[in-house]
Amino acid sequence: MIKITRVPSTPRRRQAASALLALGAMLSAGACSVANSGPEAPGGGAAANTVRIVLPEEPPTLEPCDASLTATGRVTRANITEALTERDPSTGKLQPALATEWKQDSPTEWTFTLRPGVKFHDGTAFDAKAAAFSIDRTVGSTIDCNVDGYVFGGIELTATAVDDTTLKVKTAKADPILPLRLSFVEIVPTTTNKTGKVREPVGTGPYKIAKWDTGRSLRLERFAGYWGKAPEFAAAEYVWRAEGSIRAAMVKSDEADVAIGLAPEDGAGDAAVQYPNNETSYLRIDATKAPLNDIRVRQAINYAIDRNGLVASVFAGLGKPAGQLVPEGVTGHSTAIQAWPFDMAQAKKLVAEAKADGVPTDTPIKIIGRNGIYPKAAEAMEVVQNALIEAGLKVEIEMLDVNAWLEYLLRPFPKNLGPTLLQAQHGNQAGDAAFTMGQIYGSKGAQSSYGTPELDDLIGKAEQASGEERQTAFAAALEHQNKQVVRDAVLAHMTGILALSPKVTYQPNAATNDEMRLADMHPAG
Amino acid sequence: MLTFLRRRITSSAIPLVVVILGVFGLARLTGDPANLYLPLSATPEMRAEFAARHGFDQPLYVQFVDYLAQVVRLDFGESLRTAEPAAEAVLRAFPATLQLAGATMILATLGAIVVGSWAAYRPNSAADRIASFTSTTAASMPDFWFAIMGVLVFAVALGWLPTSGTVGAPAWVLPVLTLLIRPFGVLVQVVRGAMVSALSAPYIKVARSKGAGEVRVVFGHALRNAAPPALTVAGDLTVGLVNGAVVVETIFGWPGIGKLMITSILQRDFAVLQAAVLVTAITIFALNIVIDACYALLDSRVRQGVTT
Repeated sequence: MIKITRVPSTPRRRQAASALLALGAMLSAGACSVANSGPEAPGGGAAANTVRIVLPEEPPTLEPCDASLTATGRVTRANITEALTERDPSTGKLQPALATEWKQDSPTEWTFTLRPGVKFHDGTAFDAKAAAFSIDRTVGSTIDCNVDGYVFGGIELTATAVDDTTLKVKTAKADPILPLRLSFVEIVPTTTNKTGKVREPVGTGPYKIAKWDTGRSLRLERFAGYWGKAPEFAAAEYVWRAEGSIRAAMVKSDEADVAIGLAPEDGAGDAAVQYPNNETSYLRIDATKAPLNDIRVRQAINYAIDRNGLVASVFAGLGKPAGQLVPEGVTGHSTAIQAWPFDMAQAKKLVAEAKADGVPTDTPIKIIGRNGIYPKAAEAMEVVQNALIEAGLKVEIEMLDVNAWLEYLLRPFPKNLGPTLLQAQHGNQAGDAAFTMGQIYGSKGAQSSYGTPELDDLIGKAEQASGEERQTAFAAALEHQNKQVVRDAVLAHMTGILALSPKVTYQPNAATNDEMRLADMHPAG
Repeated sequence: MLTFLRRRITSSAIPLVVVILGVFGLARLTGDPANLYLPLSATPEMRAEFAARHGFDQPLYVQFVDYLAQVVRLDFGESLRTAEPAAEAVLRAFPATLQLAGATMILATLGAIVVGSWAAYRPNSAADRIASFTSTTAASMPDFWFAIMGVLVFAVALGWLPTSGTVGAPAWVLPVLTLLIRPFGVLVQVVRGAMVSALSAPYIKVARSKGAGEVRVVFGHALRNAAPPALTVAGDLTVGLVNGAVVVETIFGWPGIGKLMITSILQRDFAVLQAAVLVTAITIFALNIVIDACYALLDSRVRQGVTT
């Protein structure tokens, strides 16, 4: 049964008012946020003594123990917080920072002498207790510090304050590069939360946080009590735009002074500055599956790729053909390894030989690519695919987003997977081959699909060596990999682009992506 | 009217439950957050500790029960990415989107009423053809291209507007224009079609014969009868915008809910994603009820409650 209920009609004006009220309510519900969002310097014209920087993304936090994360580290490191030691990105040498000197007392014991007279932004004094607390918070806590996994990887150590300026660090096993590892531990006062991450840390750096308008902008201001030379810019204003062409446009329209993470097609024009960005592109060959389990096929892949052509045409000249994942300036780099020469005839010959010996070279090989891993990532894989097909292999491409791609990069790898070439890129921020070799080439490395006992042995010995011996040992391991294992096809040392306004001078370096020092930026003229 | 509203609210509850279940399950299909939040070199022990700390080692149903218990207490958990409460991130982003969507739809609707009515007043005239051409072009304009071109022309070349950001009225121009252009094009066509029918109806002739002025005929009589279909389409378009104007938010650095949701998906930030989807879903259900109420106010046949 249907019942119709008559509702008294509403006067027309009330109807219109109701409709407008609905729209108005929707609008006013959010009216406060954007209107009250406060200053956002770029666009409005910043103060003369403020450097305006536009980043590709907002820092998730400024947590010092996550400073090995690019998005966090490039704001936090050496600007807000500092470590005991710091690595010169151009020479690779370790230099004093909050520690003035250090010595190895025994294979497992180190003593650090700390800089006196240093203050935190909150006015408290920096001392050995703060250093010990910071090391313990980063390495020994349960807050998932990125630095712990990236730099220490399960290494056990104990830091003890002997007096205000003397710190003892003991490791469970000998660690010849402990001072280098500690260059990643940002020092915070003992009042810092040890059971949770902090978004706005207190440090000893030349800048302190003035205001973080989450989602919109971050302002740092010069710390008057800084122990070192005062930086020239009184303040830094960060904003973030995901689109590269917008970042470039902001510099061109004088809304920003520095824009980072640009691609050639973003149109920075005369404002563009190129720099080696510490990343090396490569293909990881899964040598456990036919036909890639035959070294001749792996060599053929290396011979078939025209790296000079790839860099010139696809990467627009931004990069340098490479033969190893450890670039110059990093301990362990081998000067004996050059980029594989392009020799298609040799590649075809090796594939034919393998085929004649019963290697199933017609098995489809899948290139697992990652969209956006570097500019023109898909085009680069198409160039590789064509070259390998010409060499006599069957190759398909599957481009994935970062989440799906990570499933292939990290152990445990997906099951029932055929032969694959994984498009990857590696950056060694730390400056020592130990941060490359074990995880990428070790038989059980987190990112390794294949290794050999001989290579494991070479890596293990190199990790225990120090000084010149360490350099030689890692170089030998790399050379062995390149000749005897051929686990990958290294493509190029990549080049980054940033845009710089004529108002600012700044010389980017290999560390710029991960650590952008405001003190290295100067007003032009 | 109250019966009408009660019925609409009740019928929205089931889809809301489906949304809660769906977003929880689908989010977890995207993979292990440890791969993103721990460094590539992290040991298996570190990954296991991470999973245990955040409850990801529990069976899915246990995680879901925990999540429901939290939602009941209006606790959406903490962001894995930013270490802040998920609700805080959502409630900060959502107003920015609502504000942008509201401004866009008010301007698009008012503009479409004027242009659509102008075109319908004399069908097949030059004005009608210009309006049709313009609205078709606007409705088919790729927003990404329009936004980038707008920045290059008005910000970089002419320097009249900022490239992006949220501060000051000029910063609103390009985002609103980019968002507005397609709804405007669609709405002009809908208003024009409805107004052509309305203006040829007998009651319009009666109104004119009684000496009513043309403005009153068009906007007082015809528009009222042409409004329901336009309101329906405008409602759908508004819902689409409230869901997040991802392209505009990304290009112009607008800190809205669409960008937050995309980042949460890409970063497997489950707590923020769940909170964002839930708040958006509730808002869309509420918005639909408001639109239905407006529709009922405009059309007595709708507000005459029908019950069995």
